[in-house]
Amino acid sequence: MDQKQRSSFTYPPRNNSPQESFNPNYDYPQFNSQNRTESPYTPSQFFNSQAREWDPHALLSNLSFLEQKIHQMQNIVREMIRTNEGQNCNISELTAQRQLLTTDLTSTIIQLISTAGSFLPTIRTSLLSGNAPIPQLGSSIPSASSAPSPSAYQPNPSPDYEELTKGWGENVVESAGQIQIEDLDVKEGEDVGQDGDTLPIGSYEVLQLEKEEILAPHTHFCTICGKGFKRDANLRMHMRGHGDEYKSPAALAKPAREPGSQPIPVKRYSCPFVGCKRNKEHKNFQPLKTLLCVKNHYKRSHCEKSYTCSRCNTKKFSVLADLKTHEKHCGRDKWLCSCGTTFSRKDKLFGHVALFQGHTPALPSDEVKGKNEEINDKDDSGGVGYNDGDEYLDMKGGYFSPMVNFDSFSFEGLDEFSRTTFDPTENSFSFLRSGSPDFARKGPGN
Amino acid sequence: MCDITAVLTVDLLAQVLDWLHDSRDLKSCRLVSRAFLQAERMHRRAIRPLRLGPLPVLLRRYVGSLQSLDLSSCPSLDDSALSLSIPCPNNLRSVSLSRATGVTWRGLEVLASVCPRIEAIDISHCVGFGDREAAAVAKACWLKELRIDKCLNVTDVGLAKVAVGCSRLEKLGIKWCFEISEIGIDLLVKKCLELRELDISYLKVGNESLRSIASLSKLEDLALVGCEYIDDEGLYFLSNGNCSLQSIDISRCENVTSVGLTTLAEGQQRLRKINAGNCSPVLTSTFVSKLCTLGDTLIILKLDKLQLLASALEIVGKNCRNLLEIGLSKCNGVNDEGISWLVEGCTNLSTIDLTCCLLVTDKSLLSIAACCRGVKCLWLESCVLISEKGLDQIASCCMDLKEIDLTDCNVNDNALKCLSRCSELLVLKIGLCSGVSDIGLSFIGTNCSKLLELDLYRCTAITDDGLAAISNGCKRLKKLNLCYCNQISDTGLAHLQLEELSDLELRGMVRITSSGITAMAMGCRSLTQLDLKRCYSIDDAGMWALAQYTENLRQLTISYCTVTGLGLCHILGSLRCLQDVKMVHLSWVSIEGFELALRASCGKLKKVKLLGKLQDVLSSELLQTLQARGCRIRWVNKPLVFKG
Repeated sequence: MDQKQRSSFTYPPRNNSPQESFNPNYDYPQFNSQNRTESPYTPSQFFNSQAREWDPHALLSNLSFLEQKIHQMQNIVREMIRTNEGQNCNISELTAQRQLLTTDLTSTIIQLISTAGSFLPTIRTSLLSGNAPIPQLGSSIPSASSAPSPSAYQPNPSPDYEELTKGWGENVVESAGQIQIEDLDVKEGEDVGQDGDTLPIGSYEVLQLEKEEILAPHTHFCTICGKGFKRDANLRMHMRGHGDEYKSPAALAKPAREPGSQPIPVKRYSCPFVGCKRNKEHKNFQPLKTLLCVKNHYKRSHCEKSYTCSRCNTKKFSVLADLKTHEKHCGRDKWLCSCGTTFSRKDKLFGHVALFQGHTPALPSDEVKGKNEEINDKDDSGGVGYNDGDEYLDMKGGYFSPMVNFDSFSFEGLDEFSRTTFDPTENSFSFLRSGSPDFARKGPGN
Repeated sequence: MCDITAVLTVDLLAQVLDWLHDSRDLKSCRLVSRAFLQAERMHRRAIRPLRLGPLPVLLRRYVGSLQSLDLSSCPSLDDSALSLSIPCPNNLRSVSLSRATGVTWRGLEVLASVCPRIEAIDISHCVGFGDREAAAVAKACWLKELRIDKCLNVTDVGLAKVAVGCSRLEKLGIKWCFEISEIGIDLLVKKCLELRELDISYLKVGNESLRSIASLSKLEDLALVGCEYIDDEGLYFLSNGNCSLQSIDISRCENVTSVGLTTLAEGQQRLRKINAGNCSPVLTSTFVSKLCTLGDTLIILKLDKLQLLASALEIVGKNCRNLLEIGLSKCNGVNDEGISWLVEGCTNLSTIDLTCCLLVTDKSLLSIAACCRGVKCLWLESCVLISEKGLDQIASCCMDLKEIDLTDCNVNDNALKCLSRCSELLVLKIGLCSGVSDIGLSFIGTNCSKLLELDLYRCTAITDDGLAAISNGCKRLKKLNLCYCNQISDTGLAHLQLEELSDLELRGMVRITSSGITAMAMGCRSLTQLDLKRCYSIDDAGMWALAQYTENLRQLTISYCTVTGLGLCHILGSLRCLQDVKMVHLSWVSIEGFELALRASCGKLKKVKLLGKLQDVLSSELLQTLQARGCRIRWVNKPLVFKG
């Protein structure tokens, strides 16, 4: 799809100052669809404001304007009731009041739709990316003239969706046309990644979270008190304490996606570690499927292994679930490599031995002897030294620095990353871990 | 007396020695003078000591030039003996420890460390060896050749050790290592890319292993004897692999059919040797017709026990013109017509195996004699239809004939008379030919002076005179089988004065006694194997004589002899090379006798056959010691009888 055209849809002029388009003193004859044709924004204005972040105050003022409007209408209605009760009703006055009310209501509805329309893409994004922090995903208060097309995030909008956008006024396209040349893509380059397991290039969107976000214990934060939660559902439950408006079934319900809208576009994730095969910059980029994959991948590949098995005191893991999986059959691994790695299956051990130069299966009862011999062997060949103490340091080193090389290998263990991570098989981890020294050694070559 | 070395320098002497192959000749040479001894010392590359005692002296003498050391015949070889006997700076390239069951991984580790450039190790038939021993061997990183056949405890782990440690391996034999699986083979193939020869006979591996093996680009020689899990699919992998096989042995692979053989012949166009014996009984003509595409390259073809029609042999004859060896043993369809077609084409044939081809008659022999004048080996066991007429023709045309097997062919003295014209004859087997008498043997004795091996099994017409004729004529005999020739007595045995005789079978010769044995032992000092089973009259005196005169005796069978505990103790204690004794049904030996005798022999024996009942009465400590020294005891389940 043409990049330019897409960008024209993608980014609404979210920079509009709410005061200009939409303020409490705005008298509503102006606030109609006719006026919207003359967009008050020039490209220069747009440029000036483009760096501005979304402002919650703008939204708030917009809403309070609506509130004021509703109060006005309430007053009118009360007035009408009162005059009715007093029996001294003037027909013409009543008609005038009714007309006023109708106009007021119409304008309010338009206002509401406009606000909602500007929010729509934002909501959709936040729904899809799920855990992304709110500030990143926000958008400015849109003016009536800036109702953005939801197709912004959709390379191929469905006919249904186009119909929906049509309803928001025919000027939408025009106003979008003004900013057609602009590319405000904050997620620049995210869709550069190559195809994943089965997906063709471009058929999915690539998101990349920062290290801090990945490692953050909580991904859902209360906008009011700032408390963090692991799950959105828990956040919603928490929100009840902040007022009755959060107690409604709608607020508590799982945010549903827009009915009738196009199916959610396929999302893939990129690892923020530059050089990693899971990073979108890598030439053989292999995206991660879910956020959980991102987290587990990042922890396993780029973080220290802080969980040590209490039973064997040798195996270390960076993901707690991996440790738990290991503990289930710790001590049952009877296939031992000279490098100290154990395997529960012989073929896994032999696969490991086949892959790494100099590794041999250890004989059952000469573990200690075997290790000592290994040290000598390694020293002779100038390879990575193995001994009881430094073994894992070396391995970590292998994990941290040369990720490029690590990923340029493809072997079965790697597939573990793309799997949903709650069944990490023990073997694959020991396999990878023990492998790292060799990767480290081969590092400069690549 | 002038010094001969003034004329004949040591270098020249060494060149002369190149032409001497017989150990006896070399010995005479050594004894000429110091200069000759020196020349022999410099010239010698290999030794094969029979006893451990003189080994250090020998090794010190030859340490500079020695490259090959064969310790397989040494009794009571253990770790300390091994490590003490190998001098530290040495040029050893090859060591054989076959059947050295007393050695453990420690000894092997020492070997690997003191012989840094060792290239070949043979530890086959050390049945107790396992992964640890393999790991010790794997420390010899320059190893090119390794045989671990029948090291029964070697598993994939041991093989992996070898594969990782010895990545330069070119030849590997892992026959009968039943514990090795496809996983191990797969790793081996990934690590040892230099492999040229591989023997995985009798392993329980399947087609996947052949798929891996087929990726070995340098592989030339592959033996798959008795791999029951391999079928045509595996051969398909082989035919489409990277390897360019020159020799393949797929005999006894029950699941291989002619389809697989056909694909193999299509894919591997450089095959020179094919052994497809005992595969599937049916051989379609397609395989044979594919063989013709191999045509001139093929030199050895063995099709034992396959269904062959005369037409198939015709195709072979017309296409494989360079064939040197053909095996048609137990091929039911082979007849005179087929043989004549075969030999008409393959005129270079030197070895023809027609064992149990029951339809073969004199006509076949006539056509062989007419076409293949260079034939050297002719195996005709159980070809009952042949007669002296055919053999006469063979003897007159094939003057190069070296080996002939006429077991159970009903040949008579006339046939031997004809055969005696083949003065080059080395091996003659006429077992079960009751028509052969002393007259026939006298022809052989007069003319075939080069004979090395003579089999007279159950030639019951032979008497002392015949044996005398043989002993006088065939002085070079190494192997003689006289089993059940029960007319021969002590007088005949006394004629046996064969210095080089090493292997003598006298089983079931009821008339011989200890005096005959004594006379024989005095004449045949080189005996290494002797079978006296069911020679009921042999007693302690015979044992004394053997202990005194045949000091190289390694294998001895004295079951059913009237030996007592004393004689047994003496012979087991005195014979320093004895390794294998079968002493079942020695009813004159008491339990104490067995106990003492086994203790006396302790450390030397590798194999003992005893009555099963003794298992319970012999002291367990003794049995443990025996087993710890690498001795295997075979228990025979027969009743225990005492007469003493």
